[in-house]
Amino acid sequence: MEIGKLSLHTTKSVQNKQNIKNTNTNKFSTNPFGVSFKGNVIQADVFESSNKATNLISQKSKMFASAVVSGINNFNEAFKSRINAIISFGKKVTSDVMDKMEKLGNTEITIDMEGIKNRLFPDRQYSVKQLSNKSVDELRGMWEDLTPEQAAE
Amino acid sequence: MDNNEKIKQIIRTLGEHKDSEAAINLLTEFGTNSSDDEIRELTAQTLIRKNTHESLRVVLISKGKGINDLSARVAMASINELLALKDKTEAIKILDDTIKMHSEEDVRNTARSVRALMTFSS
Repeated sequence: MEIGKLSLHTTKSVQNKQNIKNTNTNKFSTNPFGVSFKGNVIQADVFESSNKATNLISQKSKMFASAVVSGINNFNEAFKSRINAIISFGKKVTSDVMDKMEKLGNTEITIDMEGIKNRLFPDRQYSVKQLSNKSVDELRGMWEDLTPEQAAE
Repeated sequence: MDNNEKIKQIIRTLGEHKDSEAAINLLTEFGTNSSDDEIRELTAQTLIRKNTHESLRVVLISKGKGINDLSARVAMASINELLALKDKTEAIKILDDTIKMHSEEDVRNTARSVRALMTFSS
């Protein structure tokens, strides 16, 4: 017998032995462990239901995760919109303040301190220092106001 | 501060005012004709301190004003102010002219008395 034919024969014989073994264990094909309790074989349904529960849990977790992601996205959108609103408000306030500051910078503010002092201290306008800033005509007017009977003469 | 005190402040201001001519006119018009002795007194003193021909003429030769005022207080205050002048040249000149040429005898007599006082005091 040639070497090639010998190897082919050996291979076939091994395959046959495997087929025989598979045939013998065929009744346990749905039970991979091949364990029996009191003569009854545990059916594969037990494992199928276990798989279903796992799948259900997995689906639920996926839904939950999806909801969480969606919630996070919604939160991000809301947060961004609010942040943008706050930023735009801040920019507007800054712009307004700058405008006001610019207007203030261009506005000439004059305070009549002498007028205020004269109102607070009426006699102060009759101090020589204050009167010396006035013309003689103004002094004449003040004098006439103080002595209307003399001015009428 | 009453009105009299305010007027006194105006008079003091006019005494130092740079527009001397207008100030003298106002003092002559209002101050020397005031019914209040204190106002007339202060006005006369202010005019004398100015020591100009115009201001001295008012208090030296005008009847009823300055040294000729009917109020002894005003007249004496005016004389004291004249005696206190450092430069009496213009005042003496006006008094001399008054003694020689004024039409009113009372005014001439007063001028003569004041001129004598000024001679003795200098």
